[in-house]
Amino acid sequence: MILGLRPSVVITTAVAVVGAVILTIFTWAGSPVTSGTFLVATYTGLFLGALWAMYATGLVVVYTTTGVFNFAQGAIGVFSAFLYWELHVNRDWHSIAALLVVVGLFAPALGVLLDIMLMRRLRTATLVVQLMVTVAVMVLLLALVGVVWEADTARRVPFLFGIENGVDLGPSRLPWHRLIVIIVAIAIAVSMRYLLRRTRIGTAMRAVVDNRELAALNGARPNVVSSTSWALGSMLGALGGILIAPELGLDPATLNSVVIIAFAAAAFGALRNLPLAVVGAMLLGLLRQHSETWLDFGPNFQIAHRSVAPLLLFAVVVALPQARLQVGRVAHHLRRHERYTNWWEGLIGCGVIILLAVMLSGGWLNFKIWDPAPWGLLELNSANAALAMALIGCSLVPLIGWAGQLNFAPLAFAGFGAFVYLKLAGDTASGYWIPLVGLLCAPFGALVALPAARLRGLYLALMTVALAQAMSLIFFPHPSVIPRTKVGLQFPDIELFGITFDDRRGFFMLLVCTFAIFVYALVLLRRSRFGRRWIAINDSQAASATLGVPVVWTKVVVYAVSAAIAGIAGVFWATVAGNLDSAQSFDLLIGFEAVLLVAAAGVSIPLAGIFLIFKPLFTGLAARLEEAGNVDYLVTFLDQLVIFGPGLMAIGMVFNPRGAIFEMGRGFSPILPWRKDARAEIAAENAQKREPEIGELGLERPFTPEEVIAIDRRLGILDEVVPKEGYGNSRS
Amino acid sequence: MSGETATPLLELVGIRAGYGTIDVLHGVDLRVMPGQVYALLGPNGAGKTTTLGVASGQIQPHAGSVLLDGHEVNGVSPDSLARAGVCLIPEGRGIFPNLTVAENLRMSTYAGVSYKQVQERAFAQFPILGERRNQMAGTLSGGEQQMLAMSRAMSTDPALLMLDELSMGLAPIIVEELYEQVATLAEAGLSILIVEQFAQAVLGVANEAAIMLHGKVLRTGPPEEIAEELTAAYLGMS
Repeated sequence: MILGLRPSVVITTAVAVVGAVILTIFTWAGSPVTSGTFLVATYTGLFLGALWAMYATGLVVVYTTTGVFNFAQGAIGVFSAFLYWELHVNRDWHSIAALLVVVGLFAPALGVLLDIMLMRRLRTATLVVQLMVTVAVMVLLLALVGVVWEADTARRVPFLFGIENGVDLGPSRLPWHRLIVIIVAIAIAVSMRYLLRRTRIGTAMRAVVDNRELAALNGARPNVVSSTSWALGSMLGALGGILIAPELGLDPATLNSVVIIAFAAAAFGALRNLPLAVVGAMLLGLLRQHSETWLDFGPNFQIAHRSVAPLLLFAVVVALPQARLQVGRVAHHLRRHERYTNWWEGLIGCGVIILLAVMLSGGWLNFKIWDPAPWGLLELNSANAALAMALIGCSLVPLIGWAGQLNFAPLAFAGFGAFVYLKLAGDTASGYWIPLVGLLCAPFGALVALPAARLRGLYLALMTVALAQAMSLIFFPHPSVIPRTKVGLQFPDIELFGITFDDRRGFFMLLVCTFAIFVYALVLLRRSRFGRRWIAINDSQAASATLGVPVVWTKVVVYAVSAAIAGIAGVFWATVAGNLDSAQSFDLLIGFEAVLLVAAAGVSIPLAGIFLIFKPLFTGLAARLEEAGNVDYLVTFLDQLVIFGPGLMAIGMVFNPRGAIFEMGRGFSPILPWRKDARAEIAAENAQKREPEIGELGLERPFTPEEVIAIDRRLGILDEVVPKEGYGNSRS
Repeated sequence: MSGETATPLLELVGIRAGYGTIDVLHGVDLRVMPGQVYALLGPNGAGKTTTLGVASGQIQPHAGSVLLDGHEVNGVSPDSLARAGVCLIPEGRGIFPNLTVAENLRMSTYAGVSYKQVQERAFAQFPILGERRNQMAGTLSGGEQQMLAMSRAMSTDPALLMLDELSMGLAPIIVEELYEQVATLAEAGLSILIVEQFAQAVLGVANEAAIMLHGKVLRTGPPEEIAEELTAAYLGMS
């Protein structure tokens, strides 16, 4: 213990400082340090920090007062900024009026709505469901922005008081807008701190997270309190979005990505400490601006400056003591209902997948909507892209579904696989390298598992967000990782068994077969010792350890398996695309959407990846219908479904946390001739609805014959022939 | 004290209640007269905590009525009842572990007593809480946590106090200390409903007692008589 700090904090800080010093020495750009340039870098950094601090304040306030880490915090800001633009610029309202309406009226209403419709029901949900629903809200809000304010016009939110006017600060001028941002950010943080610590409503907001029932026994109205929390969080998000928009421009993706920087700042305050979160944001702003001013990472790492936030997030999350998150939150586990899939059932299922794919693509299935015809290039291309994503989705099943290790970075693993394949196979594109890609990706996964092994829940999720961000900012853009070729494709058609899969249909069948193999492998894995161990460590690490399960090793294995699957999937994914534009292909949002769909499907089910064909499938369908003409409303409907579907499906988890495939399977399985158990389950459920209450176990009066039957049924000793009389006296 | 004409402060009539489809209470009748200390005793699983849940508005009964001072309060939310002066100290440390001691006390102010007064009274009763006012409540010892929970009863002038398993998991000396506080409250005329599994401590304070078994109040009477029957009831020989 040094200065009362934990060793992990001291070590991480020391490593970070030494690393920063070494980095500075080697990358010093050589520009002269004058008081002027230093001052400019400092106040620009402070301003950036203030912007991030506003989002971070929102995150921390929502987390401490609702217990939900709100991934949608940035999206609320985006939507509000667009609404502000609509009122202020498009409809010529006065800026103050527009600000009041958006921040004072719209935002709290949105917060209350979110609470009543969704968040209130999430209190006892698993962390996966909680996070997924907030991610879903994020995706939905961004989709809504895209639909309401189409991207065809350029929009600008003007600076308050213009960009030219401001205070003179030596060599340059600090615009009023930026000064206001810095002041507002600090004022918000101070007032929120005061609200949470020094007022009764603030205390009640935190108390409700601790123990809702007790808060009610004290006389606080829990529902009112938590709605207030969400209204407040939403207002903070709105204000942040409106003040940030003039700086970054009104682009939904850019504006939303700011929230990930805010994750780092919030993590700096252990997600609960408001002053530390603000300090973290300021620190990030200063680091970012000063590194951009003084350091030159060379042409290959041009956007590496932006990786300050994910790196800090990574460091902070790894250094933080883990126990704190657990206090006061009861972990609720879903009862597992899924049964083992038999090996032969898996085989039949995979056969059905392949058969369906052949029939669909061959145009043999006629849905009476359009002329049945074999799929053309357009459909095959979108189907191939979809299947490649579905393969990536398979990697999430063991990791999230069974071992409970939240992972928002499946695309980082997939991208790594594409990189390994490029190095191994090069231009030859020999498919025989693909299994080796899997083997080489496994150690990469294991490497990620090492810091992940001590992390749990939310911190783990944040670490994977940091990993995905850092990889897409530092690793993938480097020209020697995925070189940009002027002519030809980086990823030519795969060659396997003497066949070059250069025609789209052949490649489609290769993808379908690979998907079937992956699903079957997952079925077998679930039945194996590993499957049992992963689920065991998810249920209780302590219990697993006492049974002799090596917890860390088990986690390393699941990460390795997941990385191997994702790596192989990445090869196909890159081949479908042909070229990988590194900056876009590994976008975190795509990863979010992938995780969202798999979770909505039911992440513990081997087939869950199939939901990732959702988007291209419906896009293709809509295109096909448009060709056929005369069903405009259906085309529009499908287009909207593509945009809002993933979010809506994931929101469905609030009501159906086991996922869509599980529920579908429950309805479908009794049809299968060999599933006696499924029919018995349904029968038992129906019987339970009809059964009379057993009462007080015959202590007060003799059992009636109906009760005897009920007891026998409960005990499972009911004969086929139900006795009409007997067993004691019937009620007179 | 409990004349025929007086209105009971709390009266449960034919309460049937439980969790989901499983009934725990099968027709509970119970009356706490003003100024009475009523001890509800019974073994594990008898339905004592559920009874308190119904009386405090946390659990809605399937049948029967809850009367407070003669008014039916079925369906009234627990927070409204709390503000009206029904104070339930739940079993297992009724505190907010991630709030400081002072913040826990601030949560007691909903019943109408000012923050300043709540603090003054709580710290006067339990000086140790004053010393730890800025400490997280979750880091207090078990006894201190129960004192903090009890301080809500001491400082908010409730009309009816309900205590659930006050002694659970605490050292005998601390239990004794807590029951001294209960006795003080009783002397001041507060109506108290105490639920306990282990009867020794509570029978000293109570002036009415009842045995609960299998979701029903089996017998009501003076504490001395009830104490004799208790063993039989616990062993299922009633």
